[in-house]
Amino acid sequence: MSSHINPSEVYVVVPAYNEQAVIRNVISELVSCLYNIVVVDDGSQETLNNYLHDLPVFLLHHEINLGQGAALQTGIEFAKEKNAKYIITFDADGQHSAADIEQLLEPLKENKADITLGSRFIEGAQHNMSNKRKQTLQIARFINYLFTGLKLTDAHNGLRAFNQKAFANIKIKENGMAHATEFLSFIKKNKLRYKEIPVTIRYTDYSKKKGSTIWSGFRIFFDLLLNKIFG
Amino acid sequence: MNAIQILLIGGVIAIFIYYIARFRSALVDLIILSLFSIAAIFFILYPDETTVIANKLGVQRGADLLFYCCILFFLFIVVKLFARVRRLEQKLTEVIRQRAKDEATVPKDH
Repeated sequence: MSSHINPSEVYVVVPAYNEQAVIRNVISELVSCLYNIVVVDDGSQETLNNYLHDLPVFLLHHEINLGQGAALQTGIEFAKEKNAKYIITFDADGQHSAADIEQLLEPLKENKADITLGSRFIEGAQHNMSNKRKQTLQIARFINYLFTGLKLTDAHNGLRAFNQKAFANIKIKENGMAHATEFLSFIKKNKLRYKEIPVTIRYTDYSKKKGSTIWSGFRIFFDLLLNKIFG
Repeated sequence: MNAIQILLIGGVIAIFIYYIARFRSALVDLIILSLFSIAAIFFILYPDETTVIANKLGVQRGADLLFYCCILFFLFIVVKLFARVRRLEQKLTEVIRQRAKDEATVPKDH
């Protein structure tokens, strides 16, 4: 591994909606890696401040629930204004591992990619996923391909890393879950260099409950369609 | 005059008055609305006239023609409203985002 990245240049954006049960553990793990952490509380019923007030994090609060895409955009803009050098997006439900962040940053640091995307399906990745979920993700991959022309091994992985070139112009308009596809359109449009990195995903009963289902897949599909029509 | 004609004409007039009282809009809107209302009342009083128009367009009954026009009109309204909701959503997002950034809680050493 090449020289270390200074963790103070790295901003980890964590969009969170009603993650009271796990948020403290997730954030503590990130804190121990010394990154800057931007938690965007997307209108949770019980404010996350109660769980995080003693941890060194930037806590932003949406007054009403707008959706994960909107929360990510808020966090990314905030990190940008703080002069971040690298921005990571990280799910709040505990399925990502903070140790993977370094692997995601490596290609950016070596200037081999502008954006790295976590993948559950390329060699080296670990997951304990059910077959049903795998099938759902296959459909999602196909939809992404349909809308963006990018064929990735993983469709909706929340773990991503951006360099300054990548996040400079990012503008997520899909407030809901369709933002994952929007990221890919963005890559394509701006001709960014991307790379998929194997990451470890921990499927706990908790994250399974909150994860995407076939139904949310349909919602994403229609969101994308409407976005294409109405802009 | 049938009961249904009285009912429909009453409805058209009520909507017309409500619109004028509620939204003090431009003269153009008023003229368009007046024309529509007069046309509506005319066709309510002489429903057979719609059949004449329908036949010219290749539709058998005037009622059918009206039905097709209604579908088109409502689809148009749905699309318009949807576009407006989306615009409002985007504006709302911007406002909430700005507030969230302005009022961020910052760690002690920053």
